[in-house]
Amino acid sequence: MEIKQTAMAGTLESSDLQIVLSQGTKGIEFDLTSDVAKQFGNDIKATIKSVLDAYDIENASVKVVDKGALTPVIKARAITAAQRALDLKDQPNWEVL
Amino acid sequence: METVDVFKNGSEVSLEQVLDNREWRSAKQTKLENGFPRATIVAVKLNLPGNVKNSAKIQQFFNAGWRILLASLNGWPIQSIELDISRPTGPEGFVVVSKDINRVKQVAIRFEESFPLGRFFDSDVMAKEAEGYQLSRQELGFEARRCFVCDENAKACAKAGRHSFDELRQAVNHTYEQYFVQDPFLPYWDERSVVEAATFACLAEVVTNPKPGLVDPVSMGAHDDMDVDTFIDSSLALQPYFKECITAGRTFKKEQLTELLALIRPAGLAAEQAMKVATNGVNTHKGAIFTLGILIAAYGYCTQDQKSTTLSFVQKAVSAMGAHLLLENEKVADRSSQELTAGQVQYQKYRLAGVRGEVYEGLVPLSDVALPALRKSEGTTNERLLDTLMAIAAAITDSTLVKRAGDPAINQEMIAWVAEFQKLGGAQTSAGMTFLSHLDQTFISRHLSIGGAADYLILTAFIARLMGLI
Repeated sequence: MEIKQTAMAGTLESSDLQIVLSQGTKGIEFDLTSDVAKQFGNDIKATIKSVLDAYDIENASVKVVDKGALTPVIKARAITAAQRALDLKDQPNWEVL
Repeated sequence: METVDVFKNGSEVSLEQVLDNREWRSAKQTKLENGFPRATIVAVKLNLPGNVKNSAKIQQFFNAGWRILLASLNGWPIQSIELDISRPTGPEGFVVVSKDINRVKQVAIRFEESFPLGRFFDSDVMAKEAEGYQLSRQELGFEARRCFVCDENAKACAKAGRHSFDELRQAVNHTYEQYFVQDPFLPYWDERSVVEAATFACLAEVVTNPKPGLVDPVSMGAHDDMDVDTFIDSSLALQPYFKECITAGRTFKKEQLTELLALIRPAGLAAEQAMKVATNGVNTHKGAIFTLGILIAAYGYCTQDQKSTTLSFVQKAVSAMGAHLLLENEKVADRSSQELTAGQVQYQKYRLAGVRGEVYEGLVPLSDVALPALRKSEGTTNERLLDTLMAIAAAITDSTLVKRAGDPAINQEMIAWVAEFQKLGGAQTSAGMTFLSHLDQTFISRHLSIGGAADYLILTAFIARLMGLI
């Protein structure tokens, strides 16, 4: 699926995560900021990647600012961002959860 | 000891709702920052574990802290206040104040540190002019936030997942019990706030309806010389007296608290005058002038030097102030009945100690009956105060009621009425409200009134206001 518009989800509150999805051409490109990037950076990316896969998004630029979010929160924020980027808005892909 | 479940009867929210609400809050904060680019914004919410974020008790919890925080910001120019107490994802409030962000942040941290419920509050402070600016607690000279279960660094605890869900909830329940149940916490309030609380209490009593036999906005009850306006006039006329009582308590430096009572008695007599002038000679608040004045002075005494206190300390002070009051009952025993108050006449007739006895004992029904009833009742303020009034009426010997009935046996009847009211489910049920309306008619036709219970309701509303329970 092609990203139709740049979309954002989440906040910069502690234990949350903000994700901005925009169009890309060279696969999934991450730009991750997190205090725990060293220990959890790959986990965070993998969690988001699995959501994008479920939506068949192959090309995207993914900017992530993590404030210590737990995996279910990361997943939920990624789903919302994908929904918004694909202009699906109100029908989340529940199978991803 | 009753067990408290703060989360009882609360509705559950999903992770999506919580996350959506964060986005809503973030957008709300940005909007406020843009609307007030030069001011500082305080966003207040509770930090509670689990998927129940709102309930009657959670609202009591939030209200108590919210009032304290607002009071501590009150000296500065406040631009905007918004409160959404019934939000499913938890109560939220926003205050916009024209004051330097550092000063506001200090107030917010001090609130979280020193107010007993403060650990469960999140009061985020932000300003557009200081965008991306995150002044840490340490930089302001405060310690990092501590865990509310084990007192260690809160962030470390959360990351390590050191506590089970049950432990976290128990910590919330335990804090609620300490603040509201075991010995109600009474924060320090400035004199103006105390006078407002006392005036509020008088007005809250008279607007509560339908009260059996008592004056309310709909009915004059079993009284033919006063209505709701008389009570409003009277309440306002008592404000200078409330001020004198709190000042007397706050500045009293002697050993014997009986002298504090002696100190406010002339003010009490002047207040009776002021009441009569305001009401054209009607006795609206005579009992309340006596008990509320003593309670205010005792609270003032216990909160000298900006200390907070608890209800039991205030009750001990009330009792110490009234140590000689029963002797007064003895002294009047041989006076002719024209010079005597209703309470004194009843002492002569039935040896009922009346309101003097109540003060002597420290206004015990406040902590034993009235505040627990108010705390447990979960409806509107009117419904909660009706439930409380009825609980009080069954628990005290009401000298107005005895006087009107001409026989102390009326107490047994009162207890039976209250039991029936409670069996119907109280003021939150339509059956309970219908019962109260009928009881009001019974009281009117039998010329009965529970003036003593009404005075206690005023005392309860006053203390509840100080606690933040109402």
